[in-house]
Amino acid sequence: MEVKILSAKFHIDNANTLAVAISHGAYSTLDKLFAMQPAEVIEEVKKSGLRGRGGAGFPAGMKWGFLPKNTGKPVYLAVNSDESEPATFKDRYILVKDPHMLIEGIIICSYAIDCHDAYIYIRGEYTTQVKILQAAIDEAYAAGYLGASIAGRDFKLDVTIHRGAGAYICGEETALLESIEGQKGQPRSKPPFPAVAGLYGCPTIINNVQTIASLPFIITNGADAYKAHGTEKSPGTHLFGISGHVEKPGMYELPLGLPILEVIDKMAGGVWKGRKLKGIIPGGSSTPVLLPEEAKDVTLDYESMAAHKTMFGSGGIVVLDETVDIVQLVENLISFYHHESCGQCTPCREGLGWMLKIVQKILRGEGVIEDVLLLRELCDNIEMKTVCVLSAACTMPVRSYLDKFRQEFLAYVPTASPAAQEKQE
Amino acid sequence: MADKIKLFVNGVEVEVEAGKNLIDAIGAVGIEIPHFCYHPALGSDGNCRMCLVGIEDGRPPLVPACKTPAQAGMKVLLDAAHIKKIQHDVMELELINHPIDCPICDQAGECKLQDFYMSYDKQPSRMTVAQVKKGKKLDYGCGIVHDQERCVLCARCVRFCRQITKTGELGIVNRSDAAQVEFFPGRPINNRYAQNIVDLCPVGAMTSADFRFKQRVWFLKRAKGICHGCAKGCNITIEHNREKYQEDRIYRFLPRLNPQVNGYFICDKGRYSYHKENEGRLTVARQGSQVRNQADALAACNQEISRSPKIAMILSPNCSLEEMVAVKSLAEKLGATLSGFSDGYISAGDGDGYLIQDDKSANRAGLGILGINSNRAVFEKDLGEAQLLVNFNNDLTRSYTEPELRALLKDTKMILAASHDDGLAAMAAIAIPIAAASEYSGSLVNCDNILQSFTKAVSKNHDPVDIGTLAAQLGSPLQTRAEQFSELRKYLSVLKNFEADTLPAEGLKLTDNEATHVTA
Amino acid sequence: MSNRSQLISTGKPFQFDRERDAEFERLSTRYPTRESLILPALWLIQEQEGWICQEALAYAADRIGTFASKLYEAVTFYTMFHLHPMGRNHICVCRTLSCWLLGKQEIVDFLKNEIGITPGQISEDGRFSLEEVECLGHCGTAPVVQVNGEFHENMDAGKLKELLATLP
Repeated sequence: MEVKILSAKFHIDNANTLAVAISHGAYSTLDKLFAMQPAEVIEEVKKSGLRGRGGAGFPAGMKWGFLPKNTGKPVYLAVNSDESEPATFKDRYILVKDPHMLIEGIIICSYAIDCHDAYIYIRGEYTTQVKILQAAIDEAYAAGYLGASIAGRDFKLDVTIHRGAGAYICGEETALLESIEGQKGQPRSKPPFPAVAGLYGCPTIINNVQTIASLPFIITNGADAYKAHGTEKSPGTHLFGISGHVEKPGMYELPLGLPILEVIDKMAGGVWKGRKLKGIIPGGSSTPVLLPEEAKDVTLDYESMAAHKTMFGSGGIVVLDETVDIVQLVENLISFYHHESCGQCTPCREGLGWMLKIVQKILRGEGVIEDVLLLRELCDNIEMKTVCVLSAACTMPVRSYLDKFRQEFLAYVPTASPAAQEKQE
Repeated sequence: MADKIKLFVNGVEVEVEAGKNLIDAIGAVGIEIPHFCYHPALGSDGNCRMCLVGIEDGRPPLVPACKTPAQAGMKVLLDAAHIKKIQHDVMELELINHPIDCPICDQAGECKLQDFYMSYDKQPSRMTVAQVKKGKKLDYGCGIVHDQERCVLCARCVRFCRQITKTGELGIVNRSDAAQVEFFPGRPINNRYAQNIVDLCPVGAMTSADFRFKQRVWFLKRAKGICHGCAKGCNITIEHNREKYQEDRIYRFLPRLNPQVNGYFICDKGRYSYHKENEGRLTVARQGSQVRNQADALAACNQEISRSPKIAMILSPNCSLEEMVAVKSLAEKLGATLSGFSDGYISAGDGDGYLIQDDKSANRAGLGILGINSNRAVFEKDLGEAQLLVNFNNDLTRSYTEPELRALLKDTKMILAASHDDGLAAMAAIAIPIAAASEYSGSLVNCDNILQSFTKAVSKNHDPVDIGTLAAQLGSPLQTRAEQFSELRKYLSVLKNFEADTLPAEGLKLTDNEATHVTA
Repeated sequence: MSNRSQLISTGKPFQFDRERDAEFERLSTRYPTRESLILPALWLIQEQEGWICQEALAYAADRIGTFASKLYEAVTFYTMFHLHPMGRNHICVCRTLSCWLLGKQEIVDFLKNEIGITPGQISEDGRFSLEEVECLGHCGTAPVVQVNGEFHENMDAGKLKELLATLP
């Protein structure tokens, strides 16, 4: 099942060092790259169908195409390595196992969009990872792959690591920009979109680490080679993280489009301890849960997920076995999003705390059926009323648990008033 | 005039000004889009989510009105069920952690939370879990008291300090529902416009130590005034009330929008200048140390005037144009000299290039327009030759020390028309109480040659007259305000288009030609 | 999140040591605006001192040329910045989803029994401080514990006990 494009060098010892990376082909794309026109690079990426791997799945080449021409302002690239969606742990492997692939991808993207200052925004918790990445960048500078003239060409590129410091919201692209600008990571209203007015008010492209890391393969081997993997609308491979109640959790590079249950069974060894499957979180904690019967014909691509009213997300799959207490799980989730709410918009700032206290009240056995109904109603009241989608990242999954595991919530509610019972019916 | 465009609100076509956001454009034709964080002086922030409106056929269909420019043909939905639901839901969320302490909150009666609750929510609370607790009654500096639990985190105060005063004292710390407005320890609010924060705060989170608990706002009467604190002439609302058996008192000055003069704000010094309207007033006429009734005092004045061969007059640079022209006519009739000397009203270096001016007088430009000499040497020479000085509320203690003043007045009696009973009044042979700025109507020209009028706000129990009336009582040929205004037309031809008290609300910008009519 | 607004004043002036000063100056060439140095400056302070005091914030604000209130906002918004001294060994236990599913509570309970501290506390001898943190991005090897910045994966009480013994 596995296809090793991004993870091709992950098994090689010291592939994070320049010498080893080069001996395995790192930076070999640059000759071809600089022989191409930037527009040709963009065209090739468009042709490859590469979609943003941060969660939203927006076509990368198309995003680059939105950059306005001749604004007289610099163009910036911000590489999103914030990776903080619970259940997501893929970009980390690129940072430590093959950082030069990422740097090469940054050079490709920068050349395509005429950027000379790229920033890698890396979450603050990645302490050991940032050291490895910085060492790789330092080596790349020393070897002339970064700096005043990339690989001897008339192309200047500086790459700077900007460390976050414990804020999930900075994975949201405009919050990430605010954070680079030294502000609190509070998302900006759109429009304007970052491609028009992003970092320092200048045209800016923000791409996920995995998106950027996919570029060397695409430029080296061509769009068709990339499209040979995956599905027509979701081409290529993805680093899937499988965690939770499976026998062999871990990170697996797979083409898009594989059946989710088959992947869980064949790659991750199935549900652990011979237990029964209760649910699957398909793409990070913010994606609505799938029941076992719903998961039967779900494949790992954007379209299939959408058809099943959930999302591909970040490719972080969490398997829940039969022992999971869904109400407790919901408490854990809301607690996360409440903690990470940037505090800007009223519905998210006030609402998530309210939801958390309600579910905690239910868990204490002090809830009434109205609390369950209110929790469900608040999902609707809060969702999509805010600048960014953090609140939706909380309410979408919570709604799915409330709808699909309603009895578990009701079981926590000792006294249900007849009126409310009726409303419930 | 700005271009007009047509768009639809709830299916009804309205004509609005182009180039504005939906809140302002639609608000100008009387349709409210509720909002907390947007303020025209601070721009849109988008955090409160109260102004979300529907755009029919639009992409996206739901937008914050504060961030959405009005466009021709736009179909704005305000009364659709889903928009009303959002307004209701946001209000519910604004209030879940709010203490709902309106009975003891100073903002009650002018609180957006109260107003919007009545308009958009009106439901009983569903909050059955513990509220978030935060700090109460915190001293934030410059007389600002902060209640963190009442705060809706609209960030107006933060933005004011960053964008307007550029002092940046405030920030919103923490995130999530722990977010709260704070100043960096040891660096509280410290700027000369700080009290505007209280006005900007849409709720009871920022209150004024000076005003709080003095009056319920619904008891206050309001009148349009012009601040006399400096030459800027900031537009204010004078809020006053006469409690039973008490004197009519002013409780606060609030800034009043005038884009041409002060925009939305005033300085704190000007704001607090209302205290001087209330306190230390001269309320009875005096001759020497004897209290006289007004008629007797006037008679005594006329006696002094008639027996003084040489009379010098001086008036305050705070006098209205009407007052100045009345005094000028009186001086001309009596053959008296007239000075507007008032160097002491200038505080060099105090101005900040924004609102605060070096010149602490309200109508120095008026002296120039009427050709009233303000030269110190000329005044002192005239005074030296006169047996009588008639001083129309010029606070000479600003220009002279007390010994200097005593020396100057050694051989000269002073009749003083004074609004305040101060050291200068004590030196007067006769002191006549007159109205303070909030107690009569008139017009002024500010430092930018903008002519503005103000109207009487407060009626004091002792019913003081203005200087124009007093001048008439002392024999000025200009007996009425209409006559004074008519006389002013000789100096300001532009006034032929206006009657007294009918000047445009935003004032009249005088051309250089009109404003530099100096014959002195 | 909890209220992080309480800053501690040491009463002593702060300044970057030579190494941090050089790094600050190097970074200042990498950004077109000074305010972009806010997060890097906070990291440098924390690296130097282990935590961030009021004086250091004021120093950084003045050094950057911005309002102290902006530093105050940042340092309280980003939860990895320590606003008081931590234990010699700072233990972060991931509390989120996969780690929760795979028994992070066992680790937290163990620490309570073993060294007597609950999340947010510092041991009396100052040797350990404990924090429950949100997802650390090691879900495939959950539960994960980060001690002094180093990740320890597939943890359980037994492994943690062995690890603690090796710590100063």
